[in-house]
Amino acid sequence: MLVEFLQDALFAAIAAIGFSAISNPPRRAYLFCAVIAAVGHSVRFLLMDCAGWHIVPASASASLLIGVLAVLISPKTRIPAETYLYPSLLPMIPGIYAYRTFGALVMCLYRGTEDSFLHYFYLFAQNGMTCFFILLAMVVGATLPMFLLPKISFQATRQKTNS
Amino acid sequence: MTSSTTFKPGVKDVASFLSEYSVMLFGSGATCIRMEKNMHRIARSQGMEAEFSILPRHIHLTVGDGSDTVTSVVAIRDMPISFAKIALLSKLSWQMADCRYDFRQAVKVLAKIGSTPGTPPWRLLLLVSLANASFCRLFGGDAMAMAVVFVATFAGFLVKQVLTDRHVDFRLTAVACSFISAVIASSDALFSLGATPEIAVGTSVLYLVPGIPFINSFCDMIDRHYLCSFGRMMNAVVISCCLSLGLCAGMLLMNLGMF
Repeated sequence: MLVEFLQDALFAAIAAIGFSAISNPPRRAYLFCAVIAAVGHSVRFLLMDCAGWHIVPASASASLLIGVLAVLISPKTRIPAETYLYPSLLPMIPGIYAYRTFGALVMCLYRGTEDSFLHYFYLFAQNGMTCFFILLAMVVGATLPMFLLPKISFQATRQKTNS
Repeated sequence: MTSSTTFKPGVKDVASFLSEYSVMLFGSGATCIRMEKNMHRIARSQGMEAEFSILPRHIHLTVGDGSDTVTSVVAIRDMPISFAKIALLSKLSWQMADCRYDFRQAVKVLAKIGSTPGTPPWRLLLLVSLANASFCRLFGGDAMAMAVVFVATFAGFLVKQVLTDRHVDFRLTAVACSFISAVIASSDALFSLGATPEIAVGTSVLYLVPGIPFINSFCDMIDRHYLCSFGRMMNAVVISCCLSLGLCAGMLLMNLGMF
Protein backbone atom coordinates (compact mmCIF):
# COMPACT_ATOMS: atom_id res chain seq x y z
CA MET A 1 0.00 0.00 0.00
CA LEU A 2 2.76 2.42 0.97
CA VAL A 3 4.69 1.58 -2.21
CA GLU A 4 1.59 2.22 -4.32
CA PHE A 5 1.00 5.49 -2.50
CA LEU A 6 4.58 6.67 -3.10
CA GLN A 7 4.49 5.50 -6.71
CA ASP A 8 1.28 7.44 -7.24
CA ALA A 9 2.88 10.61 -5.85
CA LEU A 10 6.06 10.15 -7.89
CA PHE A 11 4.30 9.57 -11.22
CA ALA A 12 1.89 12.44 -10.59
CA ALA A 13 4.91 14.71 -10.01
CA ILE A 14 6.59 13.56 -13.24
CA ALA A 15 3.34 14.02 -15.18
CA ALA A 16 2.92 17.54 -13.75
CA ILE A 17 6.47 18.54 -14.71
CA GLY A 18 6.05 17.21 -18.25
CA PHE A 19 2.66 18.77 -18.86
CA SER A 20 3.67 22.05 -17.27
CA ALA A 21 6.58 22.21 -19.74
CA ILE A 22 4.01 22.45 -22.57
CA SER A 23 2.66 25.66 -21.04
CA ASN A 24 6.12 27.26 -20.79
CA PRO A 25 6.18 28.20 -17.09
CA PRO A 26 8.99 30.17 -15.44
CA ARG A 27 11.81 27.74 -14.52
CA ARG A 28 11.38 28.16 -10.77
CA ALA A 29 7.78 26.93 -11.05
CA TYR A 30 8.60 23.31 -11.98
CA LEU A 31 9.49 22.15 -8.50
CA PHE A 32 6.34 23.60 -6.95
CA CYS A 33 4.17 22.12 -9.73
CA ALA A 34 5.64 18.70 -9.00
CA VAL A 35 5.14 18.97 -5.23
CA ILE A 36 1.57 20.31 -5.46
CA ALA A 37 0.59 17.65 -8.01
CA ALA A 38 2.11 14.90 -5.87
CA VAL A 39 0.26 16.11 -2.76
CA GLY A 40 -3.05 16.49 -4.64
CA HIS A 41 -2.90 13.12 -6.34
CA SER A 42 -1.82 11.36 -3.14
CA VAL A 43 -4.74 12.89 -1.25
CA ARG A 44 -7.13 11.63 -3.92
CA PHE A 45 -5.48 8.21 -3.73
CA LEU A 46 -5.92 8.10 0.07
CA LEU A 47 -9.53 9.29 -0.07
CA MET A 48 -10.44 6.70 -2.70
CA ASP A 49 -8.38 3.70 -1.61
CA CYS A 50 -8.35 4.13 2.19
CA ALA A 51 -11.51 6.09 2.95
CA GLY A 52 -13.53 4.52 0.12
CA TRP A 53 -14.73 7.81 -1.36
CA HIS A 54 -16.20 8.01 -4.85
CA ILE A 55 -13.86 9.50 -7.47
CA VAL A 56 -15.95 12.71 -7.89
CA PRO A 57 -15.88 14.01 -4.27
CA ALA A 58 -12.31 12.72 -3.89
CA SER A 59 -11.25 14.72 -6.98
CA ALA A 60 -13.08 17.81 -5.73
CA SER A 61 -11.37 17.65 -2.32
CA ALA A 62 -7.91 17.03 -3.79
CA SER A 63 -8.43 19.89 -6.27
CA LEU A 64 -9.49 22.22 -3.49
CA LEU A 65 -6.25 21.42 -1.68
CA ILE A 66 -4.28 22.01 -4.90
CA GLY A 67 -6.05 25.35 -5.34
CA VAL A 68 -5.28 26.48 -1.78
CA LEU A 69 -1.62 25.46 -2.09
CA ALA A 70 -1.26 27.22 -5.46
CA VAL A 71 -2.79 30.44 -4.15
CA LEU A 72 -0.66 30.41 -0.99
CA ILE A 73 2.60 29.70 -2.83
CA SER A 74 2.06 32.21 -5.66
CA PRO A 75 2.86 35.45 -3.72
CA LYS A 76 6.01 33.90 -2.26
CA THR A 77 7.38 33.14 -5.72
CA ARG A 78 5.70 36.10 -7.51
CA ILE A 79 4.16 33.80 -10.11
CA PRO A 80 0.39 33.71 -10.86
CA ALA A 81 -1.46 30.86 -9.13
CA GLU A 82 -2.62 29.38 -12.47
CA THR A 83 0.99 28.43 -13.25
CA TYR A 84 0.91 25.92 -10.38
CA LEU A 85 -2.77 25.17 -10.48
CA TYR A 86 -3.29 23.90 -14.02
CA PRO A 87 -0.30 21.55 -14.44
CA SER A 88 -0.99 20.12 -10.97
CA LEU A 89 -4.57 19.34 -11.98
CA LEU A 90 -3.65 17.65 -15.27
CA PRO A 91 -2.58 14.28 -13.73
CA MET A 92 -6.15 13.99 -12.37
CA ILE A 93 -7.82 14.59 -15.76
CA PRO A 94 -10.07 11.55 -16.38
CA GLY A 95 -8.45 10.57 -19.67
CA ILE A 96 -9.38 6.90 -19.50
CA TYR A 97 -13.05 7.74 -18.86
CA ALA A 98 -12.98 10.07 -21.87
CA TYR A 99 -11.41 7.34 -23.98
CA ARG A 100 -14.03 4.80 -22.90
CA THR A 101 -16.83 7.30 -23.56
CA PHE A 102 -15.56 7.82 -27.08
CA GLY A 103 -15.02 4.09 -27.59
CA ALA A 104 -18.57 3.30 -26.46
CA LEU A 105 -19.97 5.97 -28.80
CA VAL A 106 -18.16 4.42 -31.76
CA MET A 107 -19.40 0.96 -30.79
CA CYS A 108 -22.99 2.33 -30.55
CA LEU A 109 -22.72 3.42 -34.16
CA TYR A 110 -21.14 0.18 -35.35
CA ARG A 111 -23.30 -2.37 -33.54
CA GLY A 112 -26.78 -2.51 -35.04
CA THR A 113 -28.73 -4.82 -32.71
CA GLU A 114 -30.80 -3.27 -29.95
CA ASP A 115 -29.19 -5.24 -27.12
CA SER A 116 -25.62 -4.38 -28.03
CA PHE A 117 -26.61 -0.76 -28.76
CA LEU A 118 -28.18 -0.44 -25.30
CA HIS A 119 -25.12 -2.01 -23.70
CA TYR A 120 -22.71 0.40 -25.38
CA PHE A 121 -25.04 3.34 -24.83
CA TYR A 122 -25.02 2.49 -21.13
CA LEU A 123 -21.19 2.45 -21.19
CA PHE A 124 -21.19 5.74 -23.12
CA ALA A 125 -23.50 7.46 -20.63
CA GLN A 126 -21.83 6.03 -17.54
CA ASN A 127 -18.27 6.89 -18.57
CA GLY A 128 -19.30 10.23 -20.07
CA MET A 129 -21.14 11.35 -16.93
CA THR A 130 -18.30 10.24 -14.67
CA CYS A 131 -15.80 12.06 -16.87
CA PHE A 132 -17.89 15.26 -16.94
CA PHE A 133 -18.52 15.37 -13.20
CA ILE A 134 -14.87 14.65 -12.36
CA LEU A 135 -13.86 17.56 -14.60
CA LEU A 136 -16.47 19.86 -13.09
CA ALA A 137 -15.54 18.90 -9.53
CA MET A 138 -11.85 19.39 -10.28
CA VAL A 139 -12.23 22.81 -11.85
CA VAL A 140 -14.68 24.17 -9.29
CA GLY A 141 -12.59 22.81 -6.41
CA ALA A 142 -9.32 24.16 -7.79
CA THR A 143 -10.49 27.61 -8.85
CA LEU A 144 -12.60 28.32 -5.77
CA PRO A 145 -9.62 29.49 -3.65
CA MET A 146 -8.56 31.82 -6.49
CA PHE A 147 -11.97 33.50 -6.55
CA LEU A 148 -12.36 33.53 -2.75
CA LEU A 149 -8.89 34.98 -2.14
CA PRO A 150 -8.55 37.50 -4.99
CA LYS A 151 -6.23 39.80 -3.03
CA ILE A 152 -3.64 37.06 -2.74
CA SER A 153 -4.28 35.51 -6.16
CA PHE A 154 -4.11 38.66 -8.26
CA GLN A 155 -1.36 40.52 -6.40
CA ALA A 156 1.17 37.70 -6.57
CA THR A 157 3.33 39.38 -9.22
CA ARG A 158 3.41 42.78 -7.47
CA GLN A 159 6.88 43.88 -6.44
CA LYS A 160 7.15 44.72 -2.75
CA THR A 161 8.05 48.32 -1.84
CA ASN A 162 11.53 48.81 -0.38
CA SER A 163 10.42 51.23 2.32
CA MET B 1 12.32 54.25 -11.07
CA THR B 2 10.03 56.99 -12.36
CA SER B 3 11.59 59.03 -15.13
CA SER B 4 12.02 62.77 -14.43
CA THR B 5 10.60 63.67 -17.89
CA THR B 6 7.58 61.37 -17.78
CA PHE B 7 5.80 60.98 -21.11
CA LYS B 8 2.03 61.47 -20.88
CA PRO B 9 0.35 59.15 -23.40
CA GLY B 10 -2.86 59.96 -25.24
CA VAL B 11 -5.95 57.75 -25.30
CA LYS B 12 -4.91 56.36 -28.69
CA ASP B 13 -1.47 55.36 -27.36
CA VAL B 14 -2.99 53.56 -24.38
CA ALA B 15 -5.59 51.84 -26.59
CA SER B 16 -2.87 50.64 -28.93
CA PHE B 17 -0.74 49.41 -26.00
CA LEU B 18 -3.68 47.61 -24.39
CA SER B 19 -4.63 46.00 -27.70
CA GLU B 20 -1.21 44.40 -28.02
CA TYR B 21 -1.16 43.59 -24.29
CA SER B 22 -4.58 41.90 -24.37
CA VAL B 23 -3.76 39.80 -27.44
CA MET B 24 -0.52 38.63 -25.84
CA LEU B 25 -2.19 37.88 -22.50
CA PHE B 26 -5.12 36.04 -24.08
CA GLY B 27 -2.88 34.08 -26.44
CA SER B 28 -0.66 33.04 -23.53
CA GLY B 29 -3.66 31.41 -21.85
CA ALA B 30 -4.82 33.93 -19.23
CA THR B 31 -8.33 33.74 -17.83
CA CYS B 32 -10.81 36.59 -18.35
CA ILE B 33 -10.68 37.62 -14.70
CA ARG B 34 -6.91 38.11 -14.90
CA MET B 35 -7.23 40.03 -18.18
CA GLU B 36 -9.87 42.29 -16.66
CA LYS B 37 -7.84 43.06 -13.55
CA ASN B 38 -4.56 43.65 -15.40
CA MET B 39 -6.06 45.84 -18.11
CA HIS B 40 -8.09 47.96 -15.69
CA ARG B 41 -4.94 48.38 -13.60
CA ILE B 42 -2.92 49.58 -16.60
CA ALA B 43 -5.63 51.98 -17.83
CA ARG B 44 -6.05 53.47 -14.34
CA SER B 45 -2.29 53.92 -14.01
CA GLN B 46 -2.58 56.28 -17.01
CA GLY B 47 -5.63 58.06 -15.58
CA MET B 48 -8.05 56.31 -17.95
CA GLU B 49 -10.75 53.62 -17.96
CA ALA B 50 -10.83 50.56 -20.19
CA GLU B 51 -13.56 48.07 -21.00
CA PHE B 52 -13.27 45.07 -23.29
CA SER B 53 -15.13 42.06 -24.54
CA ILE B 54 -13.62 38.90 -25.95
CA LEU B 55 -15.19 37.49 -29.07
CA PRO B 56 -14.18 34.11 -30.49
CA ARG B 57 -11.59 35.59 -32.86
CA HIS B 58 -11.28 39.24 -31.80
CA ILE B 59 -10.89 41.44 -28.74
CA HIS B 60 -13.06 44.54 -28.69
CA LEU B 61 -11.53 47.28 -26.52
CA THR B 62 -12.65 50.76 -25.52
CA VAL B 63 -10.38 53.22 -23.69
CA GLY B 64 -11.47 56.65 -22.47
CA ASP B 65 -10.19 59.48 -20.26
CA GLY B 66 -13.50 61.26 -19.70
CA SER B 67 -13.20 63.63 -22.67
CA ASP B 68 -11.90 61.36 -25.41
CA THR B 69 -12.77 57.72 -26.21
CA VAL B 70 -11.05 55.28 -28.57
CA THR B 71 -12.43 51.88 -29.59
CA SER B 72 -10.29 49.26 -31.27
CA VAL B 73 -10.92 45.73 -32.51
CA VAL B 74 -7.88 43.50 -32.59
CA ALA B 75 -7.57 39.97 -33.99
CA ILE B 76 -6.55 37.18 -31.62
CA ARG B 77 -3.33 35.48 -32.70
CA ASP B 78 -2.58 31.79 -32.25
CA MET B 79 0.42 31.45 -29.98
CA PRO B 80 1.70 28.78 -27.61
CA ILE B 81 0.41 28.91 -24.04
CA SER B 82 3.05 30.51 -21.84
CA PHE B 83 2.71 30.98 -18.10
CA ALA B 84 6.08 32.72 -18.10
CA LYS B 85 4.58 35.44 -20.32
CA ILE B 86 1.46 35.69 -18.13
CA ALA B 87 3.72 36.18 -15.08
CA LEU B 88 5.76 38.88 -16.86
CA LEU B 89 2.67 40.65 -18.23
CA SER B 90 1.03 40.68 -14.80
CA LYS B 91 4.23 42.01 -13.30
CA LEU B 92 4.31 44.74 -15.96
CA SER B 93 0.77 45.84 -15.04
CA TRP B 94 1.83 46.21 -11.39
CA GLN B 95 5.04 48.04 -12.35
CA MET B 96 2.91 50.55 -14.26
CA ALA B 97 0.36 50.84 -11.44
CA ASP B 98 3.12 51.42 -8.88
CA CYS B 99 4.78 54.04 -11.17
CA ARG B 100 7.98 52.00 -11.55
CA TYR B 101 7.76 52.27 -15.35
CA ASP B 102 6.60 55.22 -17.42
CA PHE B 103 4.60 54.53 -20.57
CA ARG B 104 7.58 54.47 -22.95
CA GLN B 105 9.47 52.01 -20.77
CA ALA B 106 6.34 49.84 -20.55
CA VAL B 107 6.07 49.74 -24.36
CA LYS B 108 9.68 48.53 -24.59
CA VAL B 109 9.13 45.90 -21.87
CA LEU B 110 5.99 44.65 -23.62
CA ALA B 111 7.91 44.15 -26.87
CA LYS B 112 10.59 42.27 -24.95
CA ILE B 113 8.02 40.02 -23.24
CA GLY B 114 6.68 39.11 -26.70
CA SER B 115 10.01 37.52 -27.58
CA THR B 116 10.35 35.47 -24.37
CA PRO B 117 11.66 32.03 -25.44
CA GLY B 118 9.67 28.89 -24.62
CA THR B 119 10.91 25.54 -23.31
CA PRO B 120 13.64 24.16 -25.66
CA PRO B 121 12.02 21.67 -28.13
CA TRP B 122 14.15 18.63 -27.23
CA ARG B 123 13.66 19.11 -23.52
CA LEU B 124 9.94 19.54 -24.09
CA LEU B 125 9.77 16.37 -26.20
CA LEU B 126 11.48 14.32 -23.50
CA LEU B 127 9.45 15.78 -20.64
CA VAL B 128 6.10 15.29 -22.40
CA SER B 129 6.97 11.68 -23.31
CA LEU B 130 7.92 10.96 -19.69
CA ALA B 131 4.78 12.70 -18.45
CA ASN B 132 2.50 10.66 -20.70
CA ALA B 133 4.23 7.42 -19.68
CA SER B 134 3.65 8.43 -16.03
CA PHE B 135 0.06 9.18 -16.89
CA CYS B 136 -0.26 5.63 -18.22
CA ARG B 137 1.02 4.31 -14.87
CA LEU B 138 -1.47 6.48 -12.96
CA PHE B 139 -4.30 4.90 -14.96
CA GLY B 140 -3.06 1.43 -14.06
CA GLY B 141 -0.81 0.62 -17.02
CA ASP B 142 2.07 -1.86 -16.54
CA ALA B 143 5.77 -1.22 -17.29
CA MET B 144 5.44 -2.40 -20.90
CA ALA B 145 2.45 -0.11 -21.48
CA MET B 146 4.51 2.77 -20.06
CA ALA B 147 7.38 2.03 -22.46
CA VAL B 148 5.02 1.78 -25.43
CA VAL B 149 3.30 5.04 -24.45
CA PHE B 150 6.69 6.75 -24.09
CA VAL B 151 7.66 5.78 -27.67
CA ALA B 152 4.19 6.59 -29.06
CA THR B 153 4.19 10.02 -27.39
CA PHE B 154 7.74 10.73 -28.48
CA ALA B 155 6.90 10.05 -32.14
CA GLY B 156 3.56 11.86 -32.05
CA PHE B 157 4.88 14.93 -30.25
CA LEU B 158 7.89 15.12 -32.57
CA VAL B 159 5.51 15.22 -35.54
CA LYS B 160 3.45 17.86 -33.72
CA GLN B 161 6.52 20.06 -33.27
CA VAL B 162 7.48 19.70 -36.95
CA LEU B 163 3.95 20.42 -38.22
CA THR B 164 3.50 23.37 -35.86
CA ASP B 165 6.81 24.86 -37.06
CA ARG B 166 5.50 24.57 -40.61
CA HIS B 167 2.25 26.33 -39.63
CA VAL B 168 0.06 23.35 -40.55
CA ASP B 169 -3.55 23.75 -39.32
CA PHE B 170 -3.75 22.69 -35.64
CA ARG B 171 -6.76 20.44 -36.34
CA LEU B 172 -4.93 18.49 -39.02
CA THR B 173 -1.93 18.32 -36.69
CA ALA B 174 -4.08 16.80 -33.93
CA VAL B 175 -5.49 14.16 -36.31
CA ALA B 176 -2.04 13.24 -37.66
CA CYS B 177 -0.34 13.07 -34.25
CA SER B 178 -3.06 11.01 -32.56
CA PHE B 179 -3.11 8.64 -35.55
CA ILE B 180 0.66 8.07 -35.31
CA SER B 181 0.58 7.64 -31.53
CA ALA B 182 -2.38 5.24 -31.68
CA VAL B 183 -0.74 3.10 -34.37
CA ILE B 184 2.48 2.82 -32.35
CA ALA B 185 0.62 2.17 -29.09
CA SER B 186 -1.39 -0.60 -30.77
CA SER B 187 1.81 -2.68 -30.83
CA ASP B 188 1.20 -3.47 -27.13
CA ALA B 189 -1.98 -5.34 -28.09
CA LEU B 190 -0.86 -6.70 -31.47
CA PHE B 191 2.34 -8.33 -30.18
CA SER B 192 0.89 -9.13 -26.71
CA LEU B 193 3.72 -7.21 -25.06
CA GLY B 194 1.98 -6.39 -21.78
CA ALA B 195 -1.16 -7.04 -19.77
CA THR B 196 -2.78 -3.60 -20.16
CA PRO B 197 -2.92 -2.81 -23.91
CA GLU B 198 -6.21 -0.90 -23.60
CA ILE B 199 -4.62 1.58 -21.21
CA ALA B 200 -1.59 1.98 -23.49
CA VAL B 201 -3.76 2.94 -26.48
CA GLY B 202 -6.05 5.14 -24.40
CA THR B 203 -3.26 7.16 -22.82
CA SER B 204 -1.02 7.38 -25.89
CA VAL B 205 -2.96 10.40 -27.22
CA LEU B 206 -3.63 12.20 -23.96
CA TYR B 207 -0.75 14.65 -24.46
CA LEU B 208 -2.97 16.23 -27.16
CA VAL B 209 -5.93 16.86 -24.81
CA PRO B 210 -6.28 20.65 -24.52
CA GLY B 211 -6.42 20.64 -20.72
CA ILE B 212 -5.67 24.31 -20.16
CA PRO B 213 -8.32 25.65 -22.60
CA PHE B 214 -10.85 23.34 -20.91
CA ILE B 215 -9.95 24.59 -17.41
CA ASN B 216 -9.87 28.23 -18.60
CA SER B 217 -13.28 27.75 -20.16
CA PHE B 218 -14.78 26.58 -16.84
CA CYS B 219 -13.00 29.43 -15.05
CA ASP B 220 -14.53 31.99 -17.44
CA MET B 221 -17.93 30.38 -16.96
CA ILE B 222 -17.67 30.80 -13.18
CA ASP B 223 -16.71 34.45 -13.79
CA ARG B 224 -19.77 34.87 -16.10
CA HIS B 225 -17.75 35.48 -19.26
CA TYR B 226 -20.04 33.07 -21.08
CA LEU B 227 -19.14 34.06 -24.64
CA CYS B 228 -15.41 33.67 -24.11
CA SER B 229 -16.02 30.49 -22.14
CA PHE B 230 -18.02 29.05 -25.02
CA GLY B 231 -15.36 30.08 -27.55
CA ARG B 232 -12.58 28.40 -25.57
CA MET B 233 -14.74 25.33 -24.96
CA MET B 234 -15.52 24.96 -28.67
CA ASN B 235 -11.83 25.21 -29.56
CA ALA B 236 -11.02 22.53 -27.00
CA VAL B 237 -13.90 20.32 -28.17
CA VAL B 238 -12.79 20.62 -31.82
CA ILE B 239 -9.24 19.56 -30.89
CA SER B 240 -10.62 16.67 -28.81
CA CYS B 241 -12.77 15.54 -31.76
CA CYS B 242 -9.75 15.70 -34.06
CA LEU B 243 -7.61 13.62 -31.73
CA SER B 244 -10.47 11.12 -31.35
CA LEU B 245 -10.69 10.88 -35.12
CA GLY B 246 -6.97 10.14 -35.41
CA LEU B 247 -7.20 7.61 -32.57
CA CYS B 248 -10.15 5.88 -34.20
CA ALA B 249 -8.45 5.77 -37.61
CA GLY B 250 -5.27 4.35 -36.04
CA MET B 251 -7.19 1.64 -34.22
CA LEU B 252 -9.20 0.73 -37.31
CA LEU B 253 -6.03 0.48 -39.37
CA MET B 254 -4.47 -1.83 -36.81
CA ASN B 255 -7.73 -3.79 -36.58
CA LEU B 256 -8.01 -3.14 -32.87
CA GLY B 257 -11.41 -3.31 -31.13
CA MET B 258 -12.47 -0.55 -28.79
CA PHE B 259 -13.53 -2.98 -26.04
